[in-house]
Amino acid sequence: MSVYVYAITKDSHPLDLGDAKGVGDPPGELRTVRGASLCAVVSDCPDDLSVARRDLQAHQDVQERLWSEGTALPLSFGFVAADEEAVRGVLEERAQLYAQRLDELAGRSEFNVKGVLDEDTVVRAVLEENTQARELNRRTLEGGGTYDDRLALGQLVAQEVQGRQDALAEEVLAGLRPLTEAEKVAPPSQQYFVSASFLVEDDRAEEFGRAGQELAERYGEGVELRMRGPLPPYSFV
Amino acid sequence: MTVVPQGNSGGVPAPAGGGGGGSGTLYDVLELVLDRGLVIDAFVRISLVGIELVKIDARVVVASVDTYLRFAEAANRLDLESGRKAPSQLTDIVGDSVESGARGKSKGALSGAVEAITESFKGGGDEAEEEPAERERRPAREKRQERGERRSERRSARDREE
Repeated sequence: MSVYVYAITKDSHPLDLGDAKGVGDPPGELRTVRGASLCAVVSDCPDDLSVARRDLQAHQDVQERLWSEGTALPLSFGFVAADEEAVRGVLEERAQLYAQRLDELAGRSEFNVKGVLDEDTVVRAVLEENTQARELNRRTLEGGGTYDDRLALGQLVAQEVQGRQDALAEEVLAGLRPLTEAEKVAPPSQQYFVSASFLVEDDRAEEFGRAGQELAERYGEGVELRMRGPLPPYSFV
Repeated sequence: MTVVPQGNSGGVPAPAGGGGGGSGTLYDVLELVLDRGLVIDAFVRISLVGIELVKIDARVVVASVDTYLRFAEAANRLDLESGRKAPSQLTDIVGDSVESGARGKSKGALSGAVEAITESFKGGGDEAEEEPAERERRPAREKRQERGERRSERRSARDREE
């Protein structure tokens, strides 16, 4: 019977899974596979395992539960082993590597930070502060100006917006970085001007949260910072 | 789970009380669950083909004629708008974000952490109300995602047959 694998822990982890349930419908019963000095949390793999809310949520819930009681290495979603024997083999073969990672992550958590910039607000700011943009805008209002004018306006505004996004992203990272042990920054994307995960010591989690809140308050209008954590250290395994 | 400011204006309302398990939570950590985490090559992984987590690099998109024209249009539109209703803007915005905070783009709304927390407490955990808002907020991504899900289900079904 193939098994779905959630996470790897040391055998000292309490592994009290409470009422947490696994993937599938009805939700799979969680159990532990032990090998060498490590454990893996698994459940039977449902036939209809899929990248959908039901199973993603179950995966995440199990990680949260395990992380709340001790250190664990969360697997990425969707890993299935042929049987418990295969899981035990991996635990034994890579015991040293995983044990070392678990030690490094003890007492630390991941915090994820995403920034969303309201486009209208930033475009408005560009028009207020850039005379050339304002002039081009005036010329192209209500169908006026040439195609080239419109293109020039758009290009200028786009560059200014990009510049502001980059500057903001750097500011957010610089503001939070000193409180963290490691970071993983996602490449720029359309939705977020910044998207980064930080590894934060538990002792500093509160301070980190405050720093994020202060940044968000400083920016106020048009800038939204979403902070999420503490999380299992998905980005630092 | 401890609290951390959860900016949410116009986005996916987080369930009141924060803890893991709400749909808002899942959306925010989706790319971590799918894209990060430990990878064990000795195991088989469900197919993630077709699931695009993050839209492509903003810079690539910015450097296109379409984008320039779109920005030019936005600039024109905003200039006209601000000429018309600048004075009462603040009241409008506050009213709007209370009534329709979850319904779409918050135009220049005050969306710092303080408002965000208030929002998420107000937001409650009502799935039925959250769903349409979520979909509206990120249509392209969500649809692509749903297509991806279907595709990967088919694929994993095929894998099992083999």
